[in-house]
Amino acid sequence: MSSMEPSGDGGKWLDAHYDPVAGLYTFSSCVDLADLSGDGESRLVLGDLGSGSSGMKLKVYRGTALMSESTLLDLPAGLVAFFMDLHEPRIPAVAVASGPCIYVYKNMRPYYKFTLPGLEVNTLEQDVWQQVREGQIDPLTLKEMLESIRKKADTPLSVRSLRFLSLEPDEMEEFVQLQKQQPIKRQTVITCIGTLKKSTADEDGVSCLVIGTECSDVYILDPEAFIILTKMSLPAAPTMMDVTGQYDVEFRITVACRNGNIYILRRESDKPKYCVELSSHPVGLVRVGKNMVVGCTDESLQGFTQKGKKLWRVELPAPITTMASMDLPTKGFQAVLLGLANCEVHLYRDKNLLSTIKTPDVVSSICFGRYGREDGTLIMTTKGGGLMVKILKRTAAFEDRDNAPGPPLAQSIRLNVPKKTKLYVDQTLRERENGLAMHRAFQMDLSRLRLAAAKAYVKALESSLTPMSSSLTEPLKMNAVVQGLGPSFKLTLNVQNTAACRPVMNLAISFLYDEGLYRMKNPYMRIPLLVPGLIYPVETFVECTSDKGISDIIKVFVLHEGRSSPLLTAHINMPISEGLMLN
Amino acid sequence: MADEERSTALTVPTEAKKRRAPKAPELPIVERRNWLIHQHYIRKDYDTCKAIIKEQLQETNGMCEYAIYVQALILRLEGKIQQSLELFQSCAILNPSSADNLKQVARSLFLLGKHKAAIEFYHEAARLNEKDWEISHNLGLCYFFIKDFKNAEEHLNAALQINKQDKTFMMLGKVHLLAGDTDKAIEVYKRAVEFSPENTELLTTLGLLYLQLGKYQKAFVHLGNALTFDPNNYKAILAAGSMMQTHGDFDVAMNKYRVAACAVPENPPLWNNIGMCFFGKKKYVAAISCLKRAHYLSPFDWKVLYNLGLVHLTMQQYASAFHFLSAAINLNPRMGELYMLLAVALTNLEDEDNATRAYEQAVTMDESNPLVNLNFAIFLYNHGDKKRALDQYQEMERKVNLLRDNSGSFEFDSELMDMAQKMGTALQVTESLVWTKPGKDSKSKPNSAAATKTPGAPLGTNQALGQAMSSAASYNKNIQLPTGVSKSPSMPLEPEPDVENAPSPPSDPPGSPEPVEEVNPKPKTSKRKTKVEE
Repeated sequence: MSSMEPSGDGGKWLDAHYDPVAGLYTFSSCVDLADLSGDGESRLVLGDLGSGSSGMKLKVYRGTALMSESTLLDLPAGLVAFFMDLHEPRIPAVAVASGPCIYVYKNMRPYYKFTLPGLEVNTLEQDVWQQVREGQIDPLTLKEMLESIRKKADTPLSVRSLRFLSLEPDEMEEFVQLQKQQPIKRQTVITCIGTLKKSTADEDGVSCLVIGTECSDVYILDPEAFIILTKMSLPAAPTMMDVTGQYDVEFRITVACRNGNIYILRRESDKPKYCVELSSHPVGLVRVGKNMVVGCTDESLQGFTQKGKKLWRVELPAPITTMASMDLPTKGFQAVLLGLANCEVHLYRDKNLLSTIKTPDVVSSICFGRYGREDGTLIMTTKGGGLMVKILKRTAAFEDRDNAPGPPLAQSIRLNVPKKTKLYVDQTLRERENGLAMHRAFQMDLSRLRLAAAKAYVKALESSLTPMSSSLTEPLKMNAVVQGLGPSFKLTLNVQNTAACRPVMNLAISFLYDEGLYRMKNPYMRIPLLVPGLIYPVETFVECTSDKGISDIIKVFVLHEGRSSPLLTAHINMPISEGLMLN
Repeated sequence: MADEERSTALTVPTEAKKRRAPKAPELPIVERRNWLIHQHYIRKDYDTCKAIIKEQLQETNGMCEYAIYVQALILRLEGKIQQSLELFQSCAILNPSSADNLKQVARSLFLLGKHKAAIEFYHEAARLNEKDWEISHNLGLCYFFIKDFKNAEEHLNAALQINKQDKTFMMLGKVHLLAGDTDKAIEVYKRAVEFSPENTELLTTLGLLYLQLGKYQKAFVHLGNALTFDPNNYKAILAAGSMMQTHGDFDVAMNKYRVAACAVPENPPLWNNIGMCFFGKKKYVAAISCLKRAHYLSPFDWKVLYNLGLVHLTMQQYASAFHFLSAAINLNPRMGELYMLLAVALTNLEDEDNATRAYEQAVTMDESNPLVNLNFAIFLYNHGDKKRALDQYQEMERKVNLLRDNSGSFEFDSELMDMAQKMGTALQVTESLVWTKPGKDSKSKPNSAAATKTPGAPLGTNQALGQAMSSAASYNKNIQLPTGVSKSPSMPLEPEPDVENAPSPPSDPPGSPEPVEEVNPKPKTSKRKTKVEE
């Protein structure tokens, strides 16, 4: 089953298992490894989000096979395995945070359900509903009162009031009847979960559960009685947390929040002690030794001290999808695994990239630890639902690459200097010898060209060969459009009087064309009075009499009665007739 | 704790609920999927995110504030700013006490270019949350865009007091630069570099600022630091390269440029600099090739045309040089040196009338470069107008004195001095040894002198150094041009036929040989040229 990995990880990992169609939808926070049956063999426990709205399952893998699965009622936000008592054999329980509850499983059987205490309900809101129950106010008044409470009050409204506010007036009555007898509840949701050793730092010591909620609180729960030991509050809803220390001695909870900040909570205070304000949202938060490593949405990985002082920052080649720590106590090795959107998993120790694993799909969750009997196992799930297990070779050693990489590769690439031909050189030599003559010839020709252009321009102006007439009495503009494929063409001349206010009268249009090629119904037309500004389309039909596929120019003259020279002239390039004459 | 009871409660709680409250169904918690939406949003999995949001909004009848909020964020990322603004506004209605919603409304307004409205909203948000660096930073940004630099500075400083962020430093520096306060800008960037010593952008900007002020040592240190952290930073490469070039380290500069050429193969200033490197190494054909590429990439850059003119003059292709120089003059009609070079070309094309006119123009345009007057003097002398030549010579002396008075350590190009002395003897002006300093200093640092020559010239004026991208370009243009300019006076140090040699030769032995004679290095250069090609 294990084969050598050909990709760029230097053969450090063995491919133990890859199931591309495992159908898993999960996050790193919902994956854990634990010896669930006490036989010394670790299992993989993961909370599967199913389709995102249904089919949520708690799955346990042993080796390459799915060992058991049980249905979850709501989306799992987090999952941890922890020791909740001192009983022998030492078998950890699994806590699944889901909605407002924590479901505790022991021996993979449901054992206990803990529900978060309800939140404080706005007293005004309670009074209003009380009045509704007593029949003192009707739904419309209720709506108004609730609206005003929502605008002013500090405590948000309950779900019921919010739902009521969103209803159409005809649904209100029914809703009120249905709901009014129930007590008002306001519940919150768990967003992240972690564990904190109670009094000893032993591997199998009893742990408290630490949970972060949507309403920005952090609770620490006693593992045996499931009572809240400590409540702490944050300025924003937490998204991820990392917990270290012991509850009875000293602990430190590092929480990444939805406002893009990271807060550090300590034992003494129920408010955050330090705050790290990041410039973009954190995607992953991992503690390595005493420092924390944060992956951000701006494709960077940053290191901070435990007091929140910035240590370093590395730019990454792609957005981060997930992060996990890689801890090998036997080798004293600690590093951070980063899943990237470019189908790679990077291993960083501080700011140094140690190794890269290429994956067939984007990794959505990573978990590293003891699986089965193998200490260094890397478990990844992919975006497409695949499950991948890799085992770190025992001989594998990670070395920090040299920090200063020396000159970049590009420096040795030859410059792409455009080559010059022999001809160019000859021309250069010629210019050197005959530069003077060339210059003079050029200047001469340039002057001639200018002269010719000026002459042509003057001639065009003098003989009204332009489609614009700028004479003071008859300022006219004309353009022509030819439509049709032939042999009949429709010729439209748009004539416009560009004068400010004076109309133009007594104009006519005549055409000059090759009579062997074209036939025109009326080669002479009178133009009506032209009101300034308006465009007058003058239409006529032209028939091509030749079937030889040739075309010619038709000249259009705009004439003034009693004057022999035209006011303006247009040359129309006729298209080739594509149709055949019928007659 | 009866296990079984609990297990039933776990597995079939819906039934239990129904039994307890058959009438009222449990309403789902509005925020129940917020965390999931957030997880997908930060992983940039926007499609899934939108699907979940849609479901969530259906479930809650549009009452889920966070879902709307993220939807608006995604819309904004997709460029639908107006729609996102509307959604943020509805978020603000759902939760009027949240500073975040107001911040996002303001941000969308800002992106729509409605800076004043954005400022109002930011102020509103600031009332709800005073200690937020982002609000202060963005307020600074808004004021910056409506060109209220004083307020911008104030708010950015406030943001820095709350929390230090690189981008705030960057912005504050920019504000100072646009307000014309380079010293303050440097102070800001210095603080920024102290705060995050590995930010290459800050390092590069600071280095470029020092470069602009002529503090080459400091500039080089910062640019060097930037290159250590990011050897592919092409802005720093261009700036550092042009400095090396100014010092004559053409090979090292070329090494650096190779890296930049991979990163930005179509950067006109880069190819211009490479071209001038080749010119410095006397590989004229390669120089012309590179300059022509630069010209192709940026046809309206007069500096490239200037350099092309210069190289063609060196190659004695006067007819081509004439065209490049006249094109450069068309684009930049206010530079004396350009007219001077044109006059040189015209002299060689034996068009004395136009050459005289070009020289006259050059002399009226130029304010500080003695070279212009010297060349004109030589030209006049060669055409027998001794009196006017003397006038020009005296004008040149005046400029030289002025330059020396202004900066004590001013060094002149040795070729220029030689020629001036010869000219002086030819015109029988004996007492005129203005440059008593021997040429050895000038040889040690020839080009720094040349570079300082230019600040008065229009080169220094068109630097919009605030603008990140263009700054590198304009900077290195500014630097590289000095090399270009200085090429003309400083080339003689590497003995070779030079631009102003062309008009000056006559003065060598005053009055005797015609310019034609000086053309005899021709065969030499042509040999070189063919070498380059092979």
